[in-house]
Amino acid sequence: MDAMAELCAEQGYEATKIADIVRRARVARKTLYDNFDGKEELFLASFDSAVEDAFGRVEEACKGAEAGWADRVAAGLRAFLAYIAENPAAARVCLVEAISATPTASARYDAAVQRFIELLGRNAPPETGLPDTLEETLVGGVAWILHQRIRRGETEQALDLTPELLDFLLSPYQGVGKSK
Amino acid sequence: MERLPRGRHGLSPEFVAQNQRERLIAGLIGALYDVGYQKTTVSLIGQRASVSKSDFYKHFQSKDECFFAAYEAAVEQIREQVVTACAGHEESEWSPRMQDGIAALLACLASDPALASISLVEGLRAGRGVYDRYQAAVESFVPYLRQGAPRAPDGEKVPASTDEAVVGGIASLLGRRVLAGEAERIGELLPDVLEFALTPYLGVTEARRIISAG
Repeated sequence: MDAMAELCAEQGYEATKIADIVRRARVARKTLYDNFDGKEELFLASFDSAVEDAFGRVEEACKGAEAGWADRVAAGLRAFLAYIAENPAAARVCLVEAISATPTASARYDAAVQRFIELLGRNAPPETGLPDTLEETLVGGVAWILHQRIRRGETEQALDLTPELLDFLLSPYQGVGKSK
Repeated sequence: MERLPRGRHGLSPEFVAQNQRERLIAGLIGALYDVGYQKTTVSLIGQRASVSKSDFYKHFQSKDECFFAAYEAAVEQIREQVVTACAGHEESEWSPRMQDGIAALLACLASDPALASISLVEGLRAGRGVYDRYQAAVESFVPYLRQGAPRAPDGEKVPASTDEAVVGGIASLLGRRVLAGEAERIGELLPDVLEFALTPYLGVTEARRIISAG
């Protein structure tokens, strides 16, 4: 799965061949096919594993944060950006390659985005009068920014985005003024 | 789109060629919406456009080349609507300009689900190198937001990443609605999208005041 992620990050899903994967992972073709039906299944397994990892870390961080909702959102965001910085290939699989790799991969991507939308909704203040679509649009905006940064190879500096992305996430809930 | 009359019609070859090219582009956009990227074949595109296969290949070397051309044409059509709507305002009138521009964007997409689909869904998901075009298209709308935008309520300049996140977030939201088959109802999202777009620059209270007054 790691080899799959690395190769996708380097050359994209379409260009990545089984031969490349087995060579990078130093396993026999037979071993790959014993474990996975083929390239797509391997890709999806890589994707699922990365999402579970990232989501788990974000959820943990939210729970571990102080009581205030802004702290929870900040902790979650930092955990996500840290994950990207530490796992650039996996980040690329999830936030870039999955969208266009195969129709099933796109659907999994949508489902993963939905989980993050709901997580944000649970951790943000339950203020009435906010647009129903708010969390959806906020997550979409953050995903877009991260997508671009990943494509440009700027994953190491992901945490540098924290102040701006945090402001972006919190300002609809706070109205006027900067967040910490 | 009407087919040209058969036989000698005294129209220049250039006119005929342009007419065919536009019909092929429209044919692809329609086919894509009806059956998706995989099932959209050169034959199908030609059928819908009333253009022969050999004439198809006079305009495009492949299905993908037609797809890229159609994608660009779709984005330009949307851009024209937005820019026209914004043009009625002075640079200093940022809020009214945003309201009109965003309203025009949503109206354009809602009135043409096939256009919405190619620009927001297929452009993202079909792979084949169209993603770069999607990225460039979304980025090209950022200046319309940024130009003449006020500073944030605390007096600081709104960061560039916020401008991009606003545009990217809106594209993502609209794309998800189209994917869910709700393109025709995109107009209903106008208040939400406006609040989302105006809040980083005006603060939520002022944004809501302007939207309810407008």
